[in-house]
Amino acid sequence: MASYEDWNRIDDEDDEELQDSSWYEGKKDVILFAIDCSESMHEPRDDPEYEDVKTCHVLRALEAAMQIQKRKVIVGPSDSVGIMMFNTTRRNDATDQGSEIKKGNFVFQAISTINSPKVQELIQLIDTARQEPDFLRETFPPLQGSRVPMGDVFTSCNWIMRDGAPKTATKRVFLITNEDNPHSVPGGDRLLTSARTTLIDLTQAGIVVEPFFISSEEKPFDVSRFYSSVLLPTNLVEDDEEDGTLLPEAVSITRMEDLLSQMRFREVPKRALFSIPFELAENFVIGVKGYGLVTEQKKGSYKYFVDLGDRMEVAESRTVYSYQGGKQVDRSKIVYGMGLGEVVGGDKTEDHVDDQGGVTRTTSANSRVFYTADEMKSFRTLGLEPKIKLLGFKSRKELKFEHNVKHSFFIYPDEMTYSGSKRTFSALLKTMIKKKRIALALALTRRNASPVFCTLVPQAEKSEEGGWNEPAGFHLVPLPYADDMRATPDQCLNAARAPDELKDKARQFVEKLTVKNGSYPPDSYPNPALAFHNAQLEASAFREEFDPENFEDLTLPTYESLHKRAGHLIKDWKQALLEDESATLVVEPPAGSRRKAEFLKSKGEPVAGNKAVLVDRVGSWFDTHI
Amino acid sequence: MTERAGYTVTMFLVDVSPSTGKLREVDVPLPNGEVQIVEMTNLEWALQYVKLKVQEMIYNGRKTDQCGVILFGTQETSNIVNRKDGGYEHVYEFVPIGTPTAATIAKINSICPAEEIGDPVDALIVGVETQDRYLGNKKTWTRKIVMLTDGENPIELEDWEVAIDKMNDLKIKLTVVSQPSRGIDFDDADFGYKEEDKSTIKRANEEFFHTFVDRLDPDLGIVGNCAFAIEEVSRPEVKQTKSALMANVLRLGDVENHPEEAIEIVVKTSKCTAFARPKSFKKFARLGDEDEDIIMRNTDDDVDELTANYGQLSMQTQYVYDPSGAHEDDDGEVKEEEPEQKKELVEIDKEDLVRGYKYGSSYVPVPDGNFPKLETKKGIEICGFFPEKNLRPELSMGEVHYVWADPASPLQQVAMSSIAEAMYVRLLVAIARWVTKDGAEPKMGILKPETHGTVAYFTWVQMPFADDIRKYTFPSLDKLFNHKGEVVTKHPYIATDEQMSAMDDFVDALDLMDAGEKDEEEDRKPWYDITLSYNPAIHRVKQALFHAAIVQDLNRQPLPPPHPELLKYFNAPRKVVKRARGAIEAARTAFNVKEVPKRVVRGRRDGHVRARDDGDDALLLDKQPNKRIKLSKTQSQVLSRTQADASAKSQQKNVTDDSETEPEDDEQDLLLNQKFKGSSRPSSPTDEDRLPTPSQTPVPNDDGRAPGRIIGTVAPLTDFNKNIAHGDLVTKAVEDLAFVIRTVVLRPFSASRVDEMLECMQALRKVCLEEDEIDAWNEFLPDLRRACLDDDPGNEFFWTKLAALGRSVSLISKSEAAQQGGKSDISDADAEQLYSTFVPSRTVLVN
Repeated sequence: MASYEDWNRIDDEDDEELQDSSWYEGKKDVILFAIDCSESMHEPRDDPEYEDVKTCHVLRALEAAMQIQKRKVIVGPSDSVGIMMFNTTRRNDATDQGSEIKKGNFVFQAISTINSPKVQELIQLIDTARQEPDFLRETFPPLQGSRVPMGDVFTSCNWIMRDGAPKTATKRVFLITNEDNPHSVPGGDRLLTSARTTLIDLTQAGIVVEPFFISSEEKPFDVSRFYSSVLLPTNLVEDDEEDGTLLPEAVSITRMEDLLSQMRFREVPKRALFSIPFELAENFVIGVKGYGLVTEQKKGSYKYFVDLGDRMEVAESRTVYSYQGGKQVDRSKIVYGMGLGEVVGGDKTEDHVDDQGGVTRTTSANSRVFYTADEMKSFRTLGLEPKIKLLGFKSRKELKFEHNVKHSFFIYPDEMTYSGSKRTFSALLKTMIKKKRIALALALTRRNASPVFCTLVPQAEKSEEGGWNEPAGFHLVPLPYADDMRATPDQCLNAARAPDELKDKARQFVEKLTVKNGSYPPDSYPNPALAFHNAQLEASAFREEFDPENFEDLTLPTYESLHKRAGHLIKDWKQALLEDESATLVVEPPAGSRRKAEFLKSKGEPVAGNKAVLVDRVGSWFDTHI
Repeated sequence: MTERAGYTVTMFLVDVSPSTGKLREVDVPLPNGEVQIVEMTNLEWALQYVKLKVQEMIYNGRKTDQCGVILFGTQETSNIVNRKDGGYEHVYEFVPIGTPTAATIAKINSICPAEEIGDPVDALIVGVETQDRYLGNKKTWTRKIVMLTDGENPIELEDWEVAIDKMNDLKIKLTVVSQPSRGIDFDDADFGYKEEDKSTIKRANEEFFHTFVDRLDPDLGIVGNCAFAIEEVSRPEVKQTKSALMANVLRLGDVENHPEEAIEIVVKTSKCTAFARPKSFKKFARLGDEDEDIIMRNTDDDVDELTANYGQLSMQTQYVYDPSGAHEDDDGEVKEEEPEQKKELVEIDKEDLVRGYKYGSSYVPVPDGNFPKLETKKGIEICGFFPEKNLRPELSMGEVHYVWADPASPLQQVAMSSIAEAMYVRLLVAIARWVTKDGAEPKMGILKPETHGTVAYFTWVQMPFADDIRKYTFPSLDKLFNHKGEVVTKHPYIATDEQMSAMDDFVDALDLMDAGEKDEEEDRKPWYDITLSYNPAIHRVKQALFHAAIVQDLNRQPLPPPHPELLKYFNAPRKVVKRARGAIEAARTAFNVKEVPKRVVRGRRDGHVRARDDGDDALLLDKQPNKRIKLSKTQSQVLSRTQADASAKSQQKNVTDDSETEPEDDEQDLLLNQKFKGSSRPSSPTDEDRLPTPSQTPVPNDDGRAPGRIIGTVAPLTDFNKNIAHGDLVTKAVEDLAFVIRTVVLRPFSASRVDEMLECMQALRKVCLEEDEIDAWNEFLPDLRRACLDDDPGNEFFWTKLAALGRSVSLISKSEAAQQGGKSDISDADAEQLYSTFVPSRTVLVN
């Protein structure tokens, strides 16, 4: 099978369309976990998964941080993570990076690119904490009787970010606390003001605070007591809320159990792939941004290394162009044209084949027979400017499953380029949902892409369990061109059909195995090949043995329940099938090695071996197939 | 029998008799739609057709797609029939049969009208013989002959019936193309061409060719005119590709542990859609000109060169490393760009390299190139079923595949049909895991049953894994809350009833369901038919490639505009737009969308989005809950002004990169802008209504002092004055204030503090002058200048403001220093000049 590298290679560097996801790697993401270590965060609680095991909020927050680190290290290996604890008496050593940090705050892990020692340090801490209930309280002793001002927490975050985060990175603080009113003491107003001010400083430095507020039955979290006056409104109104209260509880406030999944939603910073006009009609244009919500996640990047004995040195690859392996050609000198065709039988093409068999085209000195790079680009775009152009509306029934070639994009209005975009977009969306319409549009999403016809599928806003809100917007589904459609193979188009009795029997097991309200659940199917690769990568980074036995492929059918539910029905169906007259039409096992080999080949079986082997294989095929 | 692609020999028989040298005027369309008239000979025009056909063969790149060119009317004679039996004079085998290359085109370009009169029938017989000799007993090859003649010369009518018998025997397809020229074209009813004043010879010849073609077996012969033939060559056409059938097994249940309860159906899969890309261009460079050095060459030398030679380039990938070990930092963006230095790099074979996968900041070497692969078993495993109506089109990830029951086994067909049809009637689809062969990586997808005439089958599309889904959060479009938690129902973001009704009409008016062609029952079909929609990029690129390959100068014969067929779906159908005109106009008016003016300011990448100085009342409800909501008539106007600043940033970004890929924090920036605005407004009504800024409300707890500094960023001037009053740490205070000014000025959003910083500058200079810290000031100022103007991010705006103050904040000169009893190396002229040499290089947003 082709190695990963082979099928991941981009054939033609001019072909920008394949490089959709390149920008993901381009921009770095920095996350600083700020974990509250106050008394109640340390309080022992029953572990929701294991009986007789105690855990606490701090431990679970650290576990979530560890999970994010482990995922980040593979998904965004250039990203950086740090961990700061607050409301703890532990101080950083004078030599530490965090030595000048505000009192009550402790830098557990300074911001740096994630690496395996860092992840392992955290894993070991968590392991110890699981075994020794008091370990965390000893490691991060809670402040007694008072709380550190939130302003100090934000300032500390600012300093830590300043010291560790690259300038151009996206910078976020994941704030984890269960205290909804940290400054209920006298003088609290002043502390609130300071918190607000320092948070503004933080935001000015390009740092976004993503709060994860822990709510529990005995200690519900009321944002209006403190945070609603402190946090920047975007943090609060970003997300929709169903029941009409002030704050989006589902997202900002979470049960400890959901902390990880909440963090997973925010694991990758939201980035738009394109920001272009959406032309509804002539002189009726709004602004939209496009996002890739469905994109194939590939294996991580790799480099080549030279083993120099004492050290490994990176080998850079570079691509050079030359004629006949001669001098490298400067890129600005390259022009483009039709391939000159393969030289078949060099003697026939005479003077145009030079000594080494190279192919040239000779023109008069002042004439032009090649195109420049810019001209080539214009051939692909047909001179269009990037935009989405609405062509009209169709019935939703026109949406065909088989009309697909590429993944979709998601578009959302952009008020910043056209004022009025939101109301127009929203009205269009609702009207199309009401009328069960889809739209046909012509889209050029980027200047170096090619125009493509798309279906716009409206999606209504919807809240789901687990705090995930399906946003309102359009899915932009690219349609195939006639050039992309393949013919149906003639030999398959005349086939025997099943009698009704057999269809009935099939219907019985099909129905037994149907999830009535089901749909395709992406979350249930982590990519097994990717996970297998990553597990080995992680083991290798941790210098651990990888045990494939422990690896579980979640994409395999759940055989046990399948057979329990429908095994007998399938058996009935098989019985009926073999009694069907078509069974007698089965091609007899062919005679002669060659015919046997052809038979096996037609069944996708191996054809190597002598006649006896083939006879055996034909026999066993009939044993195992129906 | 369907024709095999390739396995064809096409003979071009080209008439070069003197009559073909007549000039004619040809309309050459330009890309801008205008038409240019170019004079060319009949022969030249006819050869365009030959070249386009040959080019198509080169484009398809099949070795078994071959051709040869035979001329008739040449002075010399060279052909196999003449060599064997004599006769057949003035027929010349010009390009021997072979797979064509660009050299073939070049050779065709050299064909000129000759001196003798050639006989088409002679040429035909030579063509048939040459082709037959070449193909020998390759019976399955397709034989084609294309004859190009102006039909102006007499034909000797002998042997032609023998030729016909032979051509029928060999199933040769003959195309006779007449060279169009005013007055000598063959009639072509399809092209609407009927020539009135033809010569008698031509008329006779035309009759002859029609008779000739009629005598050929059905579908073997055709007579056409060249103008039409050439247009047809550039018409987009899709060659229906049939995908290879791949063997696989459709499985339900555990075959190993429950064989009697599990199903295996032998299937074949093939592609239903396959994303087609434009053919790539090849790279060329003018030979002898590859090097940059040669640019320096005196251009006069070129005058002597009559030809230019372009070579097709090949690509090599080299692997190099730096043995000195000074390899590049991964965080290249943090450090300054170093001038490119020629490093001694060593090239190394790929085989000697070890692959290392990135794990965080480190790489994990994988000696064998890859980790062991997940063991998988070939097959399409059904995992379960669910209702088709719950399918989500946006999850489909790519190309569609067909799954057919084994065409050789009725039993497999019946088995497949029973399951597919059971699902079909129940409107169900299946979740299925697809492995193309043992050990291949599994893909998840959906099997959808289809019944079509005599067959029941599945289509399959890949669905995303958990890893492939990104769950971004987006603000609600219509649920806006004010800070008190009250739902806002009237807002510029929310469409009014009137707007909703306008949209309702708009959607109805632009309906495409009956805007297409009529079907057999005279009912209008929906507009836009995928099977007639050609990928414009593919066909335009192809057209461009062909054109450049066959013309001898793009400046003389520029690429014609795209074939109209390519653009037919680019605009909504005219009658729909006409019908919808009223509804469109109403919606346009009702929604009143305004483009936010683009302003060229430095983008956020540069670090500075200026807060506006005047107190704007703009409120974005979902962004500014602390404010009372004002809904006034001017709101939307104000709104757009507000957004200008923010959009300017993205615009700036768009200049360098046409797609917006920034993280989504500009809304926060925007908000912050406003907060600053609100808070710095002296007229803020109440304290509650006001968000404090650091500069206005220094909080004892946090003075913004960096570690080790005695001046903070929050109230630097106060800190500074306090320290100077104490008088014990003057040097430190000067140093720290300079540091703070630099920090604040280079921070984002510093615009609101410009005046404050200017004050600081003045205070600092005063103290420097009086307290003999003159050198500190004179060092600081150029440094600040550099930081403002040269660095990225800088703050040109601040420097502009500073420059406006002029001499009073410039360098401290000798004379000035002397007055205070200090020393300076700076001349008065230099001090004067510091700001005068400054010319704002970019448009700066000044309020």
